[in-house]
Amino acid sequence: MHATIQKPLEKILAQFGEGEKVFVVGCGNCAAKCRSGGEAEAQAMQQRLEARGVKVTGWAVPPDGGSLCKLSLAQQLLNVDHKDATAAADSFLVLACGQGIHTVIDATEGAATHPGCDTIFGGETVTDEFITEYCSLCGDCIAEQTGGLCPLTLCAKGLLNGPCGGASEGKCEISKDRDCGWHLIYERLKALGQLDRLRQYQPPKNYLKSGGPRSLTMRGKQAEFAFASGSQTAWSGTEPAPAVSAEGDQS
Amino acid sequence: MTLTSVFEQKGFAVTGEVGPPKGADATEVLAGARLMAPYVDAVNVTDNQSAVMRLGSLAVSRLLLEADITPVFQLTCRDRNRLALQSDLLSAAALGIENVLIITGDHMVLGDHPEAKKVFDLDSVQLLVTAKGLTNGVDLAGHKLEAAPKLCLGAVVNPGSDELETQYIKMEKKIEAGACFFQTQAVYEADVFAEFMTKATGFGVPIMAGIVPLKSAGMARYMNENVAGVRVPDEMIQRMSETPKADRKAVSAEMSGKLIRQIKDTCQGIHLMPLGWDDIVPQIIAAGELKA
Repeated sequence: MHATIQKPLEKILAQFGEGEKVFVVGCGNCAAKCRSGGEAEAQAMQQRLEARGVKVTGWAVPPDGGSLCKLSLAQQLLNVDHKDATAAADSFLVLACGQGIHTVIDATEGAATHPGCDTIFGGETVTDEFITEYCSLCGDCIAEQTGGLCPLTLCAKGLLNGPCGGASEGKCEISKDRDCGWHLIYERLKALGQLDRLRQYQPPKNYLKSGGPRSLTMRGKQAEFAFASGSQTAWSGTEPAPAVSAEGDQS
Repeated sequence: MTLTSVFEQKGFAVTGEVGPPKGADATEVLAGARLMAPYVDAVNVTDNQSAVMRLGSLAVSRLLLEADITPVFQLTCRDRNRLALQSDLLSAAALGIENVLIITGDHMVLGDHPEAKKVFDLDSVQLLVTAKGLTNGVDLAGHKLEAAPKLCLGAVVNPGSDELETQYIKMEKKIEAGACFFQTQAVYEADVFAEFMTKATGFGVPIMAGIVPLKSAGMARYMNENVAGVRVPDEMIQRMSETPKADRKAVSAEMSGKLIRQIKDTCQGIHLMPLGWDDIVPQIIAAGELKA
């Protein structure tokens, strides 16, 4: 889940030029769940913009929970289903994540876009009303050592070898409302009977894999993750991987 | 002189601490360091303390050295990535600075540039490992150095933490990584410190108890509320609140001295953090019956 939140209306309005005609496009998946770009929000955005004098040619959201960030869906939506309304627009207001913005650019072969949301994190949908972040999408998971809890995400400083001296009563030094990530990890490892893992030295993280833009290419049962200056391949088949698909990192 | 050699020669070390100013004039911070220098073995220089942007700890450490004062260069993980951290460690050695205190650093949101991008590329254990590697002539990427720096590496620990087990574990990791001495968070309760030392002594690395003289009852209450692992006893707060402003420094020095007398036989040193009250250091040294 890519969590998003709508930008304040005044900031959205400030992005439009004089007389600019806008088409509002949302996302049936993540942004709908975040109530930032589902059908209700996209329709409401048209009305909110029109009330402020903006000419809106229409709105659309991929149907059936479809993701705007799937290019084929965005093409169908914008170039076929809403062809006339999008053709009449000067630009797209995208109520979706940053991936969705670029998918609109790709789908329209370079149309002007405006972000209508801030993309805030990748998260777990705990309930329909609450989404929270457990992963920073770093590209190199170390959660095995920490009971499945990511210190990079849960610790405000992203420390990998244990807590700083700033935690108090299980809370972080930056806010008494925020759990100390290492307190959570400590309690989790204690419950799992794995406290000895706290003693193991965690080497500096490989940030090569965390810098964008990254890509993932699938060829049958082989996947290749390309990052800044290297790649990682994986084989998901039950049969041995062909030599060209050998697993591992290459830099 | 390295703190390690002070421990070897005297068995006990006393350090002070100065905080660089928010500006480019080091006159005052140097004057403060000079006030305490005759009474201490070395003077720490804080690194953007409390995440407030200030004159650099490396520059002020060098200025101390030029004034014949042994500096302890504090280096936090907060503001520099692994290239900058290693480069600054080499720079410190090239400038003649031998003692380095490796710390995580307060989070940026507590300081004056809360919108800064957080770095924390290395944590304090990883930075100690890295610094130790440099002293062995190899950088973090495994490349050989043309000349290895000579560094005496220190670290910090919070003896008043309410989760001491993780503090001990991290302390052991720091020792394994190369920490040669520890400075602690401010101590106010002798019994809490003694309890901490019963186990920490077994680690076999010199531990210097952190002493922050109280400036006022308000400061004590603030620390109790906001500084993890610090608990100023009510009697101390009461004493400060009853003391007229003009007498506070003397009373504060007396209380710090009493605490030092209570704990000095259980540890290997005292780290004085006067937070700008640099002229209180001689009084605390006398009250604590510490030898210069």
